[in-house]
Amino acid sequence: MKLRRLIVIFSVLTMVLAACSSDSAETTVTTDTGGTADSETTSGETIEPGDSAGSTHFVYANPFPVFDLDPSSSFSSEHVVLQNVYETLTRFNPPGSSEQLSGVLAESWESNEDATVWTFNLRDGVTFHDGETMNADAVIASLQRSLDLGLGASFIFFPIDSMEATDELTVVFNLAYPAPMDLVMSSNYGAYIMSPSAVGEGSDWFNEGNEAGSGPYTISSYTAGEGVMLSQYQEYWGGWNDGQIATVDIQLVEDPVLAEQMIRGGDADYTYNLPHDIYGSLAAEGSLDVVRGQSMTNLFGMLNHVTLSPEVREAIVLSFPYDDVANNLYGGEGSRALGIIPQAMWGADPDLAVPATDLDQAASILEDAGVSDLSLTLSYDAGTTEQQQIGEVWAANLATIGVDLVLEPLTFDARWEIQQADPEAAADIFMMFWFPTFVTPYDFMFSLFRSEEFAFFNLGYYANPDFDLLIDDADAVSGVDREAAIALFQEAQEILIADNAAVFMLDIPDVGVMNTEVSGHVPNPAYTNVVRFYELSR
Amino acid sequence: MTAPARARRWLPASWQVTPGSGVWYYRRNWLGMAAAVILAVIVVGAIAAPWLTPYADEGTGVPDLSSRLMGPSAEHWLGTDDLGRDVLARLLYGARTALLVAVGVVSLAVIVGLVIGAIAGYFGGWIDEILMRVTDVFLAFPPLLLAVIVAAALGASLRNTIIAIAVSWWPWYARQVRTQVLSLRERPFVRAVRAIGVPDRRIIVQHVVPNVMAPVWVQAASDLGASVLTAAGLSFVGLGPRPPTADWGSMIADGRQFVLSGQWWIATFAGVAILLTALAFNLMGDVIRDVSDPKTRGEA
Amino acid sequence: MRYLLRRLLTSLFVILGVVTITFVVARLVPSDPATLVAGPRARPAQIEQVRADLRLDDPLITQYVTYIGDLVQGDLGVSFATRRPISSDLPELMPATLELALVATVLSMLIGIPVGVMASAKPGGRKDSGIRVLAVGSVSVPVFWSALILQLIFAGNLGWLPLSGRVGSNVSFETVTGFFLVDSMLSGSWANVWDVMRHLALPVAVMAAYPLGLTIRLIRGSMLEVLGERYIEAARVARISERTVLYRLALKNAMAPALTVLGLTFAYSVSSAFLVEALFNWPGIGQYLTNAIVRVDFPVIIAATLVITVVYVLVNLLLDIVHARLDPRVELGS
Repeated sequence: MKLRRLIVIFSVLTMVLAACSSDSAETTVTTDTGGTADSETTSGETIEPGDSAGSTHFVYANPFPVFDLDPSSSFSSEHVVLQNVYETLTRFNPPGSSEQLSGVLAESWESNEDATVWTFNLRDGVTFHDGETMNADAVIASLQRSLDLGLGASFIFFPIDSMEATDELTVVFNLAYPAPMDLVMSSNYGAYIMSPSAVGEGSDWFNEGNEAGSGPYTISSYTAGEGVMLSQYQEYWGGWNDGQIATVDIQLVEDPVLAEQMIRGGDADYTYNLPHDIYGSLAAEGSLDVVRGQSMTNLFGMLNHVTLSPEVREAIVLSFPYDDVANNLYGGEGSRALGIIPQAMWGADPDLAVPATDLDQAASILEDAGVSDLSLTLSYDAGTTEQQQIGEVWAANLATIGVDLVLEPLTFDARWEIQQADPEAAADIFMMFWFPTFVTPYDFMFSLFRSEEFAFFNLGYYANPDFDLLIDDADAVSGVDREAAIALFQEAQEILIADNAAVFMLDIPDVGVMNTEVSGHVPNPAYTNVVRFYELSR
Repeated sequence: MTAPARARRWLPASWQVTPGSGVWYYRRNWLGMAAAVILAVIVVGAIAAPWLTPYADEGTGVPDLSSRLMGPSAEHWLGTDDLGRDVLARLLYGARTALLVAVGVVSLAVIVGLVIGAIAGYFGGWIDEILMRVTDVFLAFPPLLLAVIVAAALGASLRNTIIAIAVSWWPWYARQVRTQVLSLRERPFVRAVRAIGVPDRRIIVQHVVPNVMAPVWVQAASDLGASVLTAAGLSFVGLGPRPPTADWGSMIADGRQFVLSGQWWIATFAGVAILLTALAFNLMGDVIRDVSDPKTRGEA
Repeated sequence: MRYLLRRLLTSLFVILGVVTITFVVARLVPSDPATLVAGPRARPAQIEQVRADLRLDDPLITQYVTYIGDLVQGDLGVSFATRRPISSDLPELMPATLELALVATVLSMLIGIPVGVMASAKPGGRKDSGIRVLAVGSVSVPVFWSALILQLIFAGNLGWLPLSGRVGSNVSFETVTGFFLVDSMLSGSWANVWDVMRHLALPVAVMAAYPLGLTIRLIRGSMLEVLGERYIEAARVARISERTVLYRLALKNAMAPALTVLGLTFAYSVSSAFLVEALFNWPGIGQYLTNAIVRVDFPVIIAATLVITVVYVLVNLLLDIVHARLDPRVELGS
């Protein structure tokens, strides 16, 4: 008797405790996918997803967290969100299109003979989500903000000397040296146009979930560490039809097993970065399509120039199992990376002389340098199966020559911060991948290898002034003389190989999984992993 | 006194192999025998791993990329994992890791617990109070949690896993030993030995400790099983021995990704291994407890 | 009364000790907390500022005192990953974990106690042996493996139950208490209740296995002890029915350890929630903790551990007090 009473008391007590503590959530709608759609929205709305079948709700299971929602400084995985909320002047078309670029906020553009003066004619009748009109002043203010912040992808605007609004809808860029401004304006990062009322805000404002874009969707809520909710912007200049997506949930799902469960169960409509070996089984699933696109994503291991001597770096480069990885992992769909420039991008060098795996040579280099009992740390993404597989295969290789490779998996944000903070304490080898900011080799080389005062993505602490000059020259020339630029980029790439700056592993395939009910998605290597929800219908 | 004889003083009387004694009873209990057989298989498998499989190097972690994710077959009785390594070989080498961790954890926990418990119980007074308060604090943590945060702080490795789990387990032994020592301290023979001036340390080691070990052994036997489970749990969340060390918990974590796509054998067999090992240790612990305590034998 | 006071004081001291240990462990972390807090965009100057804000260069004692001061005010720190104060994240997560732990505990006791009694009726017999093997088996199954198997069979192959989550994506109701069983009933729709139950089924089954085995073993053991007593023999000789003997005489006296069992199963459930929630994407404290480990989000790891441990200590305190009320020997014996 007493025990039963006790249990009742205890249960009631706990319920009371719980009730007291949860009065912050009034109406909470939860989904099969876990994590509550947070009721603390910035605009005071509550989100109500409709029935899963035939609904206009879309769930994007994102394996990487969103770091920085400030469109002027964002430089990581936020593009999957921002490309739907903000717009740029131009857009790079998917492979197979007749034109390389199409206009978004700009209707047409032209440049002078030597590509030093660019004129963009803007679209009329575009409004931002806060009601402000999109015009030349807004464009200039947005781009100036990027330049002033000097973070992220702001380097793409270095050629700009001055910008002027010659009239309401015309912007003129005067450049210090030639540059393909039309291409620059299609950039995946940094070139977003925002409402003039937001230009004065700091990054914190954006990272609370506020936004001021002109794109088809607005951010209805943002919960750091969980995800972003988008909803339709009714006054979008492109207009709306039936069957288009009304609300989107870009959810952070770092566990690939969970992402797989969600996509199989219909709780997510799109995901990527699953273990490659399961794509076959997913394709066999009637409700799913496996989507493959052209890839401009390169996987490599940055070598820590502070902790590793040139001899050790050379040995490391020689020890990597290039062919084994390319032939067996990622379903064999990738190909050995030839330098840092992805093979599908202009400027790639198919004849680049790259080292072959040679463990004996590596061993003798170490011996000659007097290095023994070497222990190296390899940092890689905890949620990416192939990176772990690569690590283990590489470790087996190195073990045969007496080198101990210590594998350190972590989430990207954690290991990025650790790598940036102190080169001495950072990993010896930092595995990461890179996809285009805008389609040019300069992006890969500048962002990853140009000497930096404070490491952002140059996580190997590589510093070679000759290399810096070479790529800056190449970029300056790429506006007028493609051929000359290519020659310079390839020369710079050869320096990277000679310096053993990094281990260039693989051009990894671009694969995603989409719900069959949804149509309209076209993968685009210039906007890797971006799904343009406006183009979808279900 | 010979060494084996001296050692045997530390074992409970019921463990001597004479008819009517505990061990004799153990051998008649089929559950216990089954457990012993399973354990023997696992131990032999772990020790003789390199000779029991043609895929010894795969067991230690060397990949074979041409045979990835193959199902159970004549060449690979339990299939291969996502790096082509024979699953049976990985299980055998994983047994080494599991047993190493189990024995390491229990030994460390017993030794630390023994020392602290014996000192607290023997000297009493404020030493006892302080040591017992500290023990209480460690006991306050829910079982897995302290191991998790210690392992997370120290970093994932075999050595740190052992330390982390032992850190959360020693308090039980300390408590147990202390209680026993407390009651033992007042026994005539101990008082006699103290009276004639034998130094405390010798008293503790030679007279007190051997007589308190009985419940310790019983608990240690079943803790071996629990440590296999705990260690697997830590590996599963990434806090165990680093790859490519063969480890059952990591095999489940890695193999889990392929289960829904039909490649079930990696995670399933690793789980069976953990289950059987934990089961065998627990059964053995149960039977040992039974033989040490007449009431639960069902004889009364 | 004195016992109560003593236990309260001990608990307080223990909580202080737990706080100290978590503080020490937090300082063992090799990576620099200032960098992690400042985030990836931070410049060296910003990192220095953060280091000053966090008072990381202060002597350890000062940091310890500040830490305790913060805790007393309810400030559990800020998560590296979400950049939100942890004390605002936790209240949403606790009910999810508690609901799971409670349902698992209740289930394991509802099944475990009668089975344990059944086993003790004829010790050494076939039923008893069978039950003992099952109980030991229950206790030996690794949670993440049983989750996998159950998910594969019931969700993957048969499709009877959902793979993960607390509630279906097309289900919505007001969350009053945070306990979805209660809330769904309050919403008045049986469809909602059914959905919540379907989602609870697998995680609870997985979580209840160990406590079930434990309960069976403990009840059986304590029943055997009681059944050996004189008065039981007397009752049997007096031809009192076996059923009465078992349930009304023996069980009552064997129940005291039931409180211990309750405490143990609750403790176990709380710490196994950690693994179970990760496997079923259950949005509770356990998942919060596992995510924090992969992200090296140390404030969360420490805070979650602290909260769970304090709850555990308080529950044990409660159970001890109840035990003392039920059994006077406890108070006298201490």
